[in-house]
Amino acid sequence: MPAYYLEALTVTLGLVLLIAEAFVSTKSKAWVGIAAAVGLGGVLVLTCIAIGPDAKPDSAWAKWPLWNFYQFDSLARFYKTFALVCTILVILLSIDYRKILARFTDHPGSENGTGEYYALPVFACVGMMLLASAKDLAGAFVALELVTVTFYVMVAYMRRNVGSLEAGVKYLILGALSTGFLVYGIAWVYGATGTMSLSNLQPSISNLQSPTALLFGIALVMVGLGFKIGAVPMQVWIPDVYQGAPTPTTAFLSVGSKAAGFILMIRFLEPFLASDMTRGPVLKLLAILSIATLLFGNLAAIPQTNFKRLLAYSSIAHAGFLLLALASGAPETGSSLGSSQVVSFYLATYLIMTLGVFFVLAQVRIQRDGENITDFNGLGKTNPLLALALTVLLAALAGVPLTAGFIGKFFVFSLAMEAKLWAGVGVAFIAAAAGFYYYLNVVRAMWWADPGDRAAITLPAISKVCIALLTVATLVLGIWPQPILALLK
Amino acid sequence: MPSYLFWLFATVMLIGGAAVIAFRNPVSSALSVVTCFVGLAGLFIGLSAFFVGVIQILVYTGAVMVLFLFIIMLLDLKDEEKRAKGIAPLAAGVGLVIAFVVQLIGVLSRTPNKSAPALNQETLAAAAGHFPVGEKIATSLTAGRLPDVQLIGHTLFTQYNLPLQILGVLLLVATIGVVALSKKQAE
Repeated sequence: MPAYYLEALTVTLGLVLLIAEAFVSTKSKAWVGIAAAVGLGGVLVLTCIAIGPDAKPDSAWAKWPLWNFYQFDSLARFYKTFALVCTILVILLSIDYRKILARFTDHPGSENGTGEYYALPVFACVGMMLLASAKDLAGAFVALELVTVTFYVMVAYMRRNVGSLEAGVKYLILGALSTGFLVYGIAWVYGATGTMSLSNLQPSISNLQSPTALLFGIALVMVGLGFKIGAVPMQVWIPDVYQGAPTPTTAFLSVGSKAAGFILMIRFLEPFLASDMTRGPVLKLLAILSIATLLFGNLAAIPQTNFKRLLAYSSIAHAGFLLLALASGAPETGSSLGSSQVVSFYLATYLIMTLGVFFVLAQVRIQRDGENITDFNGLGKTNPLLALALTVLLAALAGVPLTAGFIGKFFVFSLAMEAKLWAGVGVAFIAAAAGFYYYLNVVRAMWWADPGDRAAITLPAISKVCIALLTVATLVLGIWPQPILALLK
Repeated sequence: MPSYLFWLFATVMLIGGAAVIAFRNPVSSALSVVTCFVGLAGLFIGLSAFFVGVIQILVYTGAVMVLFLFIIMLLDLKDEEKRAKGIAPLAAGVGLVIAFVVQLIGVLSRTPNKSAPALNQETLAAAAGHFPVGEKIATSLTAGRLPDVQLIGHTLFTQYNLPLQILGVLLLVATIGVVALSKKQAE
């Protein structure tokens, strides 16, 4: 099956869901979400049998001009799988979160306003899948805008909640600004090289007399992409937007949107890292970005008292580790992983840990009516199993050995040390130590603080299964990371 | 394009752009954007991109900005006029602009100056070879005319077909977003 069927099927799924939601009137809209998750699961199965034009060069579709904008390699397959898994989990999270969604959308008593909330992630997923196959800057830009515009709507979705609206306006204005930088940068890259196709960029770079104009363009594009991944100094929007947005949107932003930004960055920087003329300055830029991001994300996370805001800073901190892996600029060799594979592996473990934490946070938000760290007080006494799962997930985010998070960080550190980025390694050690402090702060609240009159939490079935699966996956991948590594080969 | 026309239109654009942020009244600002777009359209036409120039006037100046004006008048924004501007944000903004301009001058001074080939009978006829013989694009090009509407359509619907379709999905999502965020609330 040609790979572009995956996106076509996903768009169709989104359209069918929208129409079905409009014409079938039921009291609960949870079935829309379940249908979306099942449909995306079907596409996920099809990802295994999708093929690119190389696999069947004599078929009619392999000669279409479509392949100037679309490629299908192992990295594309990995990030398509990533986008689908992330979207499925976010939709499942939204199903259990619909009580809050209903309260702040149409009318507290009805779910009439919540139907589109399950269809919109499907369209964002299409954009992320297209970004995974990006081969041309024009096509990549349109796909990135599809993701961003969907997020504008999803962030402001709880329109009766002032926090959500404020987050929506902030995200819209800063997102538009970052888009401006991105387009201006693409224009400079095009002006300097005369091509927007990423595969034609490399030969045209070697013909350049002076790389100044091209480097200017690269810097502007990096500013635009820095907004998407949350790199310092383009991170200002993250804490407010993450805190104000509905929790499933926050989870989607911190995992899906970040991964989409990173795959585009990997694709965009590939030709520039391969050319001697631009390799040095690009790596220097990445190293500076990663050091600033690591320092800011981790140190600013320490005084936080709101758990959702803490996760926002934690997502900046993880972006710093990911940038450090990119800054080491290691190519893939037969025996060791390259920078792009380490980034992909790290993102995969990050998805599992972060979404697990968001599932717990959503239920605490609903049943204890708050998102502060103090709302987790005494969870170990009221819900020992849930507290144990959250402890495992947070320990993994901090990078405790025998969890998936440790292996990701270990790969990043070894790459940075091989590349002799000593400043980066030093800052990353401080950052990891700070991470232990602020993640384990929540663990302390759960096990050593008194619950007071806070009631026990009863988990809905979907949340229970997802939290259990994600926690077990964190532990299993911490000892046996081969499944993810096999996907990356 | 004669260079005095370039400077004329560029000056109109710059004045329009500066006026957008200089005016206190939102309606005046919106009209300054219109001025800026008219200058931009002039530049496009001067570069032989007639279709893009006309679309710039019809769509951006005629439709988008008029819609903006309607919205501004409907919302009746008065706060903007009263707001006092602090010196710190102004200084920061000017500082950023200066840094950017210095960077731009540095880059441009090192960039080799290349001129595009002239659009005359010869170059146009040579370009006709890329298109099927006997069709409208090829015949106009051989005759020395620039069929820019056909060329844009051809590029958009063949070469750039995939991004165009993604744009369709994007517009759909935007429409859904508008409906979902602004529909009447049940009480």
